[in-house]
Amino acid sequence: MTITVTRRRLLAGSAAALALPAFARAQGAVTPRLTAISQWSAGSDGAAITALGKKFEEKGGIWQHSPVPGFTTEMMNKLRAQIIAGDPPACSQLKGPEIAAWSKIAPTVDLDAVVAAAGYEKVVAPDLAKLHKPGGKWIALPLQIYSTNMLFLSKRAMDKAKADKAPVTWAEFNDLAEKMKSAGVAYPVANGGTRPDDGQKFEAALAGISPASYRAAIMDLDKKALEGPEIKAAFTQVRKIADWMDPNVGAQHFSTNLKRFVDGDMGMMIMGGWAQGVLRNAGFKFEDFMIAPGPSDNGKPVFLLNADAFIFWQRKEADLQAGQKLMAQLVMDPAIQTMYSQITGSIPVRTDVDLSGEGWSDGQRTTAAALKDAIASNQAVLSLAHNMAQENGMTASMIDVITEYVKNKTIKPEQAATRLADAVESAR
Amino acid sequence: MRERTYAPSRILIYLVVSLIAAAWLAPLAVVVLNSLRTNEEIAQGSMIGWPQHFAWSNYAAAWSGFCVAETCAGIRPYMLNSALVTIPATIFSTLLGAVAGYAVSLWRFRGDSWIYGIVTLGIFLPQQMRLLPWTIVLRDTGLMNTLTGLVLIHTIQGLSFTTLFCRNYYVAIPHELIRAARIDGAGFFRVFWRIILPLSPPILVVTVVWQFTHIWNEFLYGVTFTTGQQQPVTAALIALSAAVADIPQHGVQSAAVIIAALPTLLIYLFGGRYFVRGLTAGAVK
Repeated sequence: MTITVTRRRLLAGSAAALALPAFARAQGAVTPRLTAISQWSAGSDGAAITALGKKFEEKGGIWQHSPVPGFTTEMMNKLRAQIIAGDPPACSQLKGPEIAAWSKIAPTVDLDAVVAAAGYEKVVAPDLAKLHKPGGKWIALPLQIYSTNMLFLSKRAMDKAKADKAPVTWAEFNDLAEKMKSAGVAYPVANGGTRPDDGQKFEAALAGISPASYRAAIMDLDKKALEGPEIKAAFTQVRKIADWMDPNVGAQHFSTNLKRFVDGDMGMMIMGGWAQGVLRNAGFKFEDFMIAPGPSDNGKPVFLLNADAFIFWQRKEADLQAGQKLMAQLVMDPAIQTMYSQITGSIPVRTDVDLSGEGWSDGQRTTAAALKDAIASNQAVLSLAHNMAQENGMTASMIDVITEYVKNKTIKPEQAATRLADAVESAR
Repeated sequence: MRERTYAPSRILIYLVVSLIAAAWLAPLAVVVLNSLRTNEEIAQGSMIGWPQHFAWSNYAAAWSGFCVAETCAGIRPYMLNSALVTIPATIFSTLLGAVAGYAVSLWRFRGDSWIYGIVTLGIFLPQQMRLLPWTIVLRDTGLMNTLTGLVLIHTIQGLSFTTLFCRNYYVAIPHELIRAARIDGAGFFRVFWRIILPLSPPILVVTVVWQFTHIWNEFLYGVTFTTGQQQPVTAALIALSAAVADIPQHGVQSAAVIIAALPTLLIYLFGGRYFVRGLTAGAVK
């Protein structure tokens, strides 16, 4: 049977689509198509988004993904260029407070209906949900979560120190580091030399000492909290950590020193959950290391959230709109989140996904359990080092202070606290 | 047979020069060695070391194997893209620069120094500042996400440098030559083809080497204005190396870097001598 498309029929069709709240009709009329840009081009990230694209195609959609190789700046340049050219992608990767900032540049899609239909809001950490509905409406969807303050322990370094339990509080952490040091572990804390690496040490310290101060000072930029004693305590803890690190590590990626960590030459590593995948890909085994939530002085897990997300840009084309809807449904689907996280080593955004089955690692189960507990005790906060707590400019000026403090040991904790408060003031 | 003797000062010079050369070549040596080591070997050992066995497979993977998201075609298609942008853009910007340089140096007209000044001002504008104007131009010409668009950008932006180079070279040409030709009835383009161009090879080599290297290595425009399969090789290289939360693929990366650097390396090997000669041609007159 051939269908002739007349203007009348088109008009009737679109009127019907508008009239019917059931979106399924409209979706049936056009083939959903999605133009997407992301930074995910290589490694497990590239593999995961490729798999997501396959699922999109299985559901009958046309998947047009443009990876923007490079770092966030390149992707932002491209996004800006496309928006100015009047051709924004139907969806693009974007995370943290940048979602709110960019939503003022171009119109975004209201996802409230799709989110409600999926019952998504109930299973997302509240702080995370807030980031994705800056004006009160969902315009972006988180896809996967990493914790930036997981504690990796080298089995060989633990054996040297005759320890077998992961430390829970910072005091226990410091004890263990001392034990490792006297047992001959050259550097009880493993480190890279990049800015996020230094930033993670500070945020882990402060959130572990007091999640409430972290929320007030770092996320809400509360002046009183920024000048509070917890900030000084955090800098004091960071100095201890820095003294246990190898000072001869320049701007190296943390993975450069993984062998020294596994060999027991370096003892503990504060790193995001992604380090599991990196260790595995480098040929190391799970027997080589332990993984636990980062130190928390009140004993309940503190979870520093780092979540990747997609933002959806308004398009007039019916096929792109159908594609956006399909994409949104896929991103929120527990099965898709499972598939995605199993490829990258992250954990699902949905806290109701069961991780007991095959395909999940112990590290991922530990991380997911930590997230659940942290949400229950209101100790899931947003990572500064990975651009979740503040917009890029503010983050940069805060990390400047932190990274200088880590490397320059003549700066006193009190001075660092003052500098941090000043940096926030001038970046405001 | 006479024994050669070296003055101590000469030995010192050689020593210093060798040390500098070694320091400059050390990173290249590391890249070459790593291009022959497997990823596991590098991760399990150190970044610097001799290959345990030669992993030539890195080169195969770099050339036609590795994936940039959904596309697993290695560096090959992107090399072709780079060539398709670099070669025409180099030719066009060089020729236009020669004409422009000739016009502002030998064909004096009202406001010529102003025009020259404005054109060379382009050298000092940061790339990022030009992103938005180019976005609008590409949008209005419909050249967004095409190699033609990149050729246009590099041709026009290259004019700043090529005009500067050629103008500085042409000012040394005696005006009598042009005047004589004009008396014989030669016009603007006849003088250019018959007199200026035959005198130009040294400076043309300079501009070609300069433009080729510059355009081949350009990243920002390539990554911003093209997507996926249309991207130049620099974008593909970054795709290989930018995974923050993943172990860097040092072996394949190194091999890809070496392959991607070959065209510019060859241009320098063949044109390098003329490059220096051409640059200093005006200076010693």
